[in-house]
Amino acid sequence: MQINKIEVSELVEDSLPEYKKNSVNRMLKLLIKSKTGLIGLVIVLIVTIIGIFAEQLAPFDPNAINPMLINKPPAWLEGGEFAHFLGTDNLGRDLLSRIIIGTKVSLIVGVCSIAIAGFIGMIIGLVSGFYGGFIDNFFMRLVDSFLAIPNILFMLVVLGVFGPGLLTLILVIGATQWVTYARLVRGEVLSIKERDFVKASRTLGTKDRTIVFKHILPNVISSFIVVSTLSIATAILLEASLSYLGLGIQPPMISWGGILEGGRNFLATAWWISTFPGIAITITVLGIIFLGDWLRDVLDPRLTK
Amino acid sequence: MTMENVALEVKDLKTFFHTEDGVVKAVDGVSFNVNKGETVAIVGESGCGKSVTSFSILRLIKAPGKIEEGSIIFENKDLTKIKESQMRDVRGNDISMIFQEPLTSLNPVFKVGDQIAETILLHQDVDKKEAKKKSIELLKKVGIGRAEQIFNSYPHSLSGGMRQRVMIAMALSCNPKILIADEPTTALDVSIQAQILTLMLDLKKEFGTSIILITHDLGVVAEMADKVIVMYAGQVVEESDVFTLFKNPKHPYTKGLLESTPKVHELEDELKSIPGSVPSASNWPKGCRFYSRCSMRLNHCNDNAPELLGDENHIVRCWLQNEEVVKQSEYAK
Amino acid sequence: MAKYLRKRLLEIIPVLLFITFIVFFLVFWVGDPVALMLPEDAKQEDIENLRSALKLDEPMLVQFGYFVSNVVQGDFGKSFRYGEDALPIVLERLPSTLTLAFTSMIIAVLIAIPAGIISAIRRNSATDVFVTGFSILGKAMPSFWLGIMLILIFGVIFKILPVSGNGTWAHLVLPSITLGTAVSAEMTRLVRSNMLAILQQDYIRTAISKGVKPLSLILKHGFKNALVPVITIMFLQISTLVSGALVTEVVFAYPGLGQLLVQAVSGRDMAIIQAAIFVVAIMVILLNLLADLLYKVFDPRIKYN
Repeated sequence: MQINKIEVSELVEDSLPEYKKNSVNRMLKLLIKSKTGLIGLVIVLIVTIIGIFAEQLAPFDPNAINPMLINKPPAWLEGGEFAHFLGTDNLGRDLLSRIIIGTKVSLIVGVCSIAIAGFIGMIIGLVSGFYGGFIDNFFMRLVDSFLAIPNILFMLVVLGVFGPGLLTLILVIGATQWVTYARLVRGEVLSIKERDFVKASRTLGTKDRTIVFKHILPNVISSFIVVSTLSIATAILLEASLSYLGLGIQPPMISWGGILEGGRNFLATAWWISTFPGIAITITVLGIIFLGDWLRDVLDPRLTK
Repeated sequence: MTMENVALEVKDLKTFFHTEDGVVKAVDGVSFNVNKGETVAIVGESGCGKSVTSFSILRLIKAPGKIEEGSIIFENKDLTKIKESQMRDVRGNDISMIFQEPLTSLNPVFKVGDQIAETILLHQDVDKKEAKKKSIELLKKVGIGRAEQIFNSYPHSLSGGMRQRVMIAMALSCNPKILIADEPTTALDVSIQAQILTLMLDLKKEFGTSIILITHDLGVVAEMADKVIVMYAGQVVEESDVFTLFKNPKHPYTKGLLESTPKVHELEDELKSIPGSVPSASNWPKGCRFYSRCSMRLNHCNDNAPELLGDENHIVRCWLQNEEVVKQSEYAK
Repeated sequence: MAKYLRKRLLEIIPVLLFITFIVFFLVFWVGDPVALMLPEDAKQEDIENLRSALKLDEPMLVQFGYFVSNVVQGDFGKSFRYGEDALPIVLERLPSTLTLAFTSMIIAVLIAIPAGIISAIRRNSATDVFVTGFSILGKAMPSFWLGIMLILIFGVIFKILPVSGNGTWAHLVLPSITLGTAVSAEMTRLVRSNMLAILQQDYIRTAISKGVKPLSLILKHGFKNALVPVITIMFLQISTLVSGALVTEVVFAYPGLGQLLVQAVSGRDMAIIQAAIFVVAIMVILLNLLADLLYKVFDPRIKYN
């Protein structure tokens, strides 16, 4: 018995560095092999850089109204100018600059709301999984309720009550997207709690905190990253939808959904106003989905099917 | 032995799987005959290619697998060459098959009776009513009482033994000339295994069906088979009638298999097992494929692949059968 | 069966209670609607009278009690905007939304099932790549933007279809295609993966070994097994469908629940918001229940205990 134990632990130790080395190799190998993963990574990097340096990159002041330049078409069409590459809107504002600035809002909403969602979900999942009983029941009913009604309904009520705005939007998206995380963490806690070594260490008085940091977090971290990536895509789409409905980001703050909505009434005269922000959203979300799929294949083969 | 007596002739069959990690040569040049009314057992460890051989006969190999070479002659047709539509007429009609796991092998959303009747309707010129009547008869024949009631049951509501009886009824529904049974009792309780084997023997006598029995269980072989084919690493390593094989096994691998089978009347403390494992099928060794595990290997065996040697009744793929080689070469360490 | 139904209906109660509480709590938090209801120069006495008439001077829990009892009687109060009871206004809009949801679901199913099956059978073929690409693109594209692009193409450029309003079947075409495409994206992916899993099953091999023809193999042996997951998938898309309908209705100025709700949120018309949330939530819950009951019809293995 004793001998067996040593052998097993030696095996584990021996295999560790090999496994780590392998997984880095594997990631790179899979990245090169998966063309979509590579495309996704490139898109996400470009969009992030644009978002961070939006002010520096925008060729014009995105809010500068110019009556001389109303509804200028994109550069490649007749009447277009190279300076206003994607054309101008109904107030003569440079569309490219507006889309570049809009990137920032999309990224802020996407990342912040998912950070909040992850935090809430993690806490609820841990509490629910660890304490079980009434608390678990309560939170799981809450999860069911959130799954039973479309998220956007909840968002509409909250936005109706508190009024639209960047902060409300981030909070309300965060408050609806935590459910996935809570289930993920709870499931992991439940399965780890049942393992013998955790049972043993609990009877020996190991603090729950130690169990959380040593056993649970390392186990959920990869699923967490994968879920987060895909959730950011969802959050960006939600932000765009709500801003389009006029319930999200409010002018003068610029968002893709807002630009799109502004162009809705000028489809006949200036189709580009509504078209290009949509393409920006689609490409961004596509990039994130590609990246997320690749990350899932690399980090969490369990989730693949 | 005349050709009229042969029901199926497999010649130099090669079935390979083209995977990302290379070509897996799961079946690498297998030949054997199945005579009419004969039970041929194919034995070997898992991964030896016995199931792939049996699936190849009915062309059930899915991509990335492919029959690369060889022929399977049945009633003057080469099953590897005929059109898919012709193959469909053979499947379930002339040659049928039962599988290891009856629960997953039966379609869960159809009544078992309808699944039997489907085979009959596919291959016989009868109407639905007639097919149902025949199905119920078949259910009775495989020893199911209350056949009318079972006809309307779904697979999940039957026991494991019942399900396998249904599978057998389905396989025999068109009086096939050959029945392929892939580990038909492995997934069943020990107490049910004997019943299913007895049933198969009885039915074989009644219908005169040839059986190709795929198994790793030498106990089943002793009970059922007329002829035994031992496979190792994608090849036939020994073939003979069942009595000769059990009495006088010649290949070290066959000997190892027999020694690792428990014998009721011999009280031994320990079962011997064959050390090591089968080499990788994507990279077979140059010499004898059993070399790494063989207790009687010669230096000669490492570099030279043995051919099948022996007479019509007993052939062995082993250099020990070649006296000259044995004389010239020494035992390897 | 009746027992199961009763159990499921009882399970709805906590979800409804949760929704009631959220809706009540948010409105309670917002505070006094009286200020909005009376002119700015109203006398203090009038304000007091209205407050007690609306029972706003009672403690929170008592107010919640009144609220629940009103909700049970279908009384959500009067709409600020329409000056009438909110529930009838909401219910009047329901048929339009249900029609849109239904036609969209049909379009989604007509796209997703054949596309999913074909791409599963011809795995890794050009068709499969195309279908998978379409499905990912459909997920990345905001549905409201797709709607606008359809308006641009069919309404503005070719002028063959009406782009807003309600009344004839032609009004339904573009909104249904918009919403149907959005829903079909995820559905196609799920049908494909389910069909792939089914084609790997042992019973498919058995069927081949019996000599079953390819078409019958896929449609009879394969698809009947896929029905249960496909129905699940269909109903899983209900949330997407409802959320999508809300936004799509606004894009096409289609007079359904979504348009009403978005207007109510912009105008903070609480009675309408509350009534609409309840109606939509109950609709979603009932559809999910219907899904559960349908499973039994298609899968003999499922028993209701």
